[in-house]
Amino acid sequence: MFNQLMQKGRRLAGIGSVVAALGLAAPVMAQDKDPIVFGGSIPLSGVFAFAGIHLHAGLTDYTNWLNDQGGINGHPVEYVMEDTAYEVDRSVAAFKKISGNENLATYYGDSTGFMKAIAAEVNEMNSVLMSGASFATALTNNEQYPYQFIPGPNYSQMFGIILEYIASQGEEGDMPTVAFVYSDTEFGKDPIENGKARAAELGIEVVEEIVTKPGSVDVSAEVLKMRRARPDYVVFHGYVLSPINEFMVQMRQMGLDTQFMGTFWSSDKLIIDKMGEDADGYMGVMPYNYYDSEEGGPMLDALRAQAEKSDPEAGYRPTGYMQGWFNAMVWTEVVKRTLDAGKELTGDNMAEALASIKDWDTGGIIGIPVTVKDMSFPVGRIWRVNASEGRYEPVSDWIHLD
Amino acid sequence: MDWLFFGEISLAGLAMGGLYALIALGFVIIYKATRVINFAIGEIMMFAAYLFLAFAGGMEISPWVAVPLAVLGGALLGGVIEKTMIRPMLGESPISVVMVTIGIASILVGLVELIWTADPQLLPSFLPREPVFIGELYLAPKIAYGFLIGMAMLILYLLYFRFSRGGVALRATASDQAAAYSMGINVRRVFNLAWVFGSLAASLAGILVAATGGLSPQFGIIGLSVLVVVIVGGLDSILGALIAGVFIGWLETVAGAYLGGEYRMPATFAVLAVILVFKPYGLFGTHEIERV
Repeated sequence: MFNQLMQKGRRLAGIGSVVAALGLAAPVMAQDKDPIVFGGSIPLSGVFAFAGIHLHAGLTDYTNWLNDQGGINGHPVEYVMEDTAYEVDRSVAAFKKISGNENLATYYGDSTGFMKAIAAEVNEMNSVLMSGASFATALTNNEQYPYQFIPGPNYSQMFGIILEYIASQGEEGDMPTVAFVYSDTEFGKDPIENGKARAAELGIEVVEEIVTKPGSVDVSAEVLKMRRARPDYVVFHGYVLSPINEFMVQMRQMGLDTQFMGTFWSSDKLIIDKMGEDADGYMGVMPYNYYDSEEGGPMLDALRAQAEKSDPEAGYRPTGYMQGWFNAMVWTEVVKRTLDAGKELTGDNMAEALASIKDWDTGGIIGIPVTVKDMSFPVGRIWRVNASEGRYEPVSDWIHLD
Repeated sequence: MDWLFFGEISLAGLAMGGLYALIALGFVIIYKATRVINFAIGEIMMFAAYLFLAFAGGMEISPWVAVPLAVLGGALLGGVIEKTMIRPMLGESPISVVMVTIGIASILVGLVELIWTADPQLLPSFLPREPVFIGELYLAPKIAYGFLIGMAMLILYLLYFRFSRGGVALRATASDQAAAYSMGINVRRVFNLAWVFGSLAASLAGILVAATGGLSPQFGIIGLSVLVVVIVGGLDSILGALIAGVFIGWLETVAGAYLGGEYRMPATFAVLAVILVFKPYGLFGTHEIERV
């Protein structure tokens, strides 16, 4: 009973603090200025819902936090979204509906497929800057996708960061060997050719390449191939959880001392929560600090405070949350730079503002100042699972690709 | 040619095929007795696997108690589906009934997302983790023990259908519903029994497959692979389901190992196409089957 009362009290205190914050923020919010609209095709249901829910929370919390700070140059910010179930046709329909009803400035796309499908229309509109869940290499082609950017390194750049780390663990003439394991999807295949080329440049031999169906699948036969190839490192791409766990467990059962690594969507804390001790030693490349890392900074602290305020019961926030927050942060920076330059919010002007980002301090979201290159933020760090602590810990410095 | 590798790959494929055979058995039992093509079989498997997760993971019940509880839960779900959603469709066109099963699949996906969220899950480990060697051939322990459990269930089923009153009633209804009815067999009850038994087999297979490959609300897609199995074997043939299950499991694995993972499905669908050209009713199916 006492606990219930305490919980109720805490909730009321939380609501009170939100009301108080809004009240305090009111004087600096210029409600007479037109709102700036962030739109989004968000996968709250379907195969990507596990991440979509957190992306949405990150975008929502950032928008609320931003409005509490007075918006962008006095413009309030609205976040308007539709659930897409991670289906391209529904994402396209959501975009058309939102862009038809709102004076849209920026937009969150839920998949590479959607961002490619909508590119022609976005190019023609020349009024929206788009980013989203995709880190696809193709989207950093400025000529084809001039108004779309990647909120981190693209998948090929992630492979580049991973391979640089692997190369740093070897010596000239005695480089570790590597195997690539990826899903049979556009997402999974994205960085493989570039990854192989980069490995060759670094003198790393790719001793095995395995393609699997995405999702729940038996990989016993594929593990047998690994037993013969005996790679020093396995790099996973195109998965969230399975079959990473099976490769790791079965290869260790065979006595292999291979180390395992993954790209952004394969490096969430979900791996630790679900695999437990088996996840120990797994490494991932991550462009943002983890929510529970020991790093700090004004924006990272603000993110944690806002996350706590919006849902005190939620606890740890996954990488999807960080990604959603960072997307909206970049949009804000771009819109602000465009407005400060006295320009209209056109696609060209916003793309130009994005390209001008150099040595930008993200307030701790990314640990070093970042510079935009080819519409992406080619920076990341290798983190390793400490299973007993239940979190990722950094094992490399921040790597900023030139 | 590395024969040891081929042997290990084949063994892994045959073991996986054993689980396909168990799922296909669930599919065929329902079709044979009721003439309903159950597109929700994958989602029933998924639901049972989530039940296991809830019992063994959430409630921390011993896995060896949680497995039968979850399997019974899946069987109960099958019985409820038949009684509340399939039985009212008696006499309707097969397409309508198929659409109902597709709708049920969709509802089950939504239900697990509501209860267990959309996060991918791993089942609590309940099978021995020591590598299994048959001579020099290595077999992943989960696959090996999963196969043994699946085979035990298959044998129990075959004995039940051969010797029990319920089994005889099921076979009689499958052969000729009108004759079975006139001989005093409660055909409605047999329909329900078929859904219960079919779902029970699928539920056990669901837990064993999810223990190997992980679990998510999209787990039910495995039903597609099993559809290939039952069409190749013959929609109404238990023997066909068993043989085709083992064969398709082996073929998928060997194709994946030698040609690459992207060739698993094309290899099985190529076999399906060839079988349909030369044996339109499957390897062991009867010619009276109404095709949908």
